[in-house]
Amino acid sequence: MAIPYFPGCTLKTKATGLDDSTRATLAALGLEVAELPEWTCCGTVYPLAQDNYMGKVAAARILINASKEDDGRLVTVCSFCYNVLKRVNHAIKNDEETRTKLTQFLEEEYAGETKLVHPLELLRDDVGFDTLQKKVNNKLKGIKVASYYGCMLSRPAAEMQFDEESENPTVMEDLVSAMGAEAVDFKYKTTCCGSYQVMKTYDLVVKKVREILEGAKAKGAQVIITSCPLCQFNLDWIQEKIAEEDSSFDKIPVLYFTQLLGVALDVPVEKLGLEKNYVDPKPLLQG
Amino acid sequence: MVKDGFTSKIKEISEQNPNLCMQCGTCSASCTGIGAMEELPRQVMRLLQLGKDKVLESPSIWMCTTCLTCTARCPRGIDIARVMEALRVVNLRQGNEVLVLEDIPLELLTEVPQMALTSGFRKLSA
Ligand code: SF4
Ligand code: SF4
Repeated sequence: MAIPYFPGCTLKTKATGLDDSTRATLAALGLEVAELPEWTCCGTVYPLAQDNYMGKVAAARILINASKEDDGRLVTVCSFCYNVLKRVNHAIKNDEETRTKLTQFLEEEYAGETKLVHPLELLRDDVGFDTLQKKVNNKLKGIKVASYYGCMLSRPAAEMQFDEESENPTVMEDLVSAMGAEAVDFKYKTTCCGSYQVMKTYDLVVKKVREILEGAKAKGAQVIITSCPLCQFNLDWIQEKIAEEDSSFDKIPVLYFTQLLGVALDVPVEKLGLEKNYVDPKPLLQG
Repeated sequence: MVKDGFTSKIKEISEQNPNLCMQCGTCSASCTGIGAMEELPRQVMRLLQLGKDKVLESPSIWMCTTCLTCTARCPRGIDIARVMEALRVVNLRQGNEVLVLEDIPLELLTEVPQMALTSGFRKLSA
């Protein structure tokens, strides 16, 4: 039975590589997902103002629609979508006023039954890293990978309940090891890349991006992986800008974890959407 | 929004009590906006404790990325990101915004992922 899947807006436009590689790798591992019918934008960010209920309506509608499918779960891979859907679901489950306001507005009965899951959790819990290890080729052998989680997967800890330690998650490193590559630990893995400030406080984002890239490279990383299209963009596109001004700058490819997994699973490269990456990962991946 | 009693409005919207802050500076030391902010989060909290309404005009509140690092680390359990959001929201509801479509360089506008636009406009535009 297929698990309902919510791609989100960015995966249908700029981040098709994340959408394609997620579908292809899950399929290669025998996990069937089916796009949730008639989905809308999730709202992107969780409203932090107590009285902003409108900012939660879209996510609530998506969660309710998912609850009408048989599976009981909803899979989403974009870190922002995952964050806002999970937080809205948490609010519906735990805060009576939010639940009443949203369900009355949407004229639905819903108390937070949908279980939101990230593909990283599916890989860990449904496939299992031991099983995955037996299915991968040896193409990534010796490649050093820095796992970049950013903000949205694990904060706030009490609501996201993502991995054991919110400040030091390890699920991506465990995935990297299972894929046959080498995980490097680096201290910037849950720092913020500067996010949407790229459009307003650009210099701040360049500074954050440099810290993250240099931190990963200092540990010997040859590639950075993420599940967030905005982190991916900031880390990838800004490198090209830095390199235009500083010819000595060493670029490092920034991939979605699903793209790297696709390589390890022999998914045909045209299904991984690598051509949209700014820093070309092919030289590294073709060894 | 009148500036009179603005602290109670901030407390209401954020559901946080700035008076709990003990001025340790953990939030400032963790803040993504360091380097771009004039008043760091600890100082924002202090201005609120003192009832200084100039905090509403602090450019720092617009540099915040809502990364929640401060919130995760505050030893007094204050959700500082919610306080920063309340300060923005009070401004935005009066029409004071900082992210305007026309000001975004075209080169960026055509390349950024859609989520950058929707999140940026939700947080920084009226
Ligand atoms: S971390 Fe908390 S207690 Fe410390 S200065 Fe910041 S708000 Fe105040
Ligand atoms: S949420 Fe805002 S104030 Fe808090 S650490 Fe992040 S950027 Fe700084």
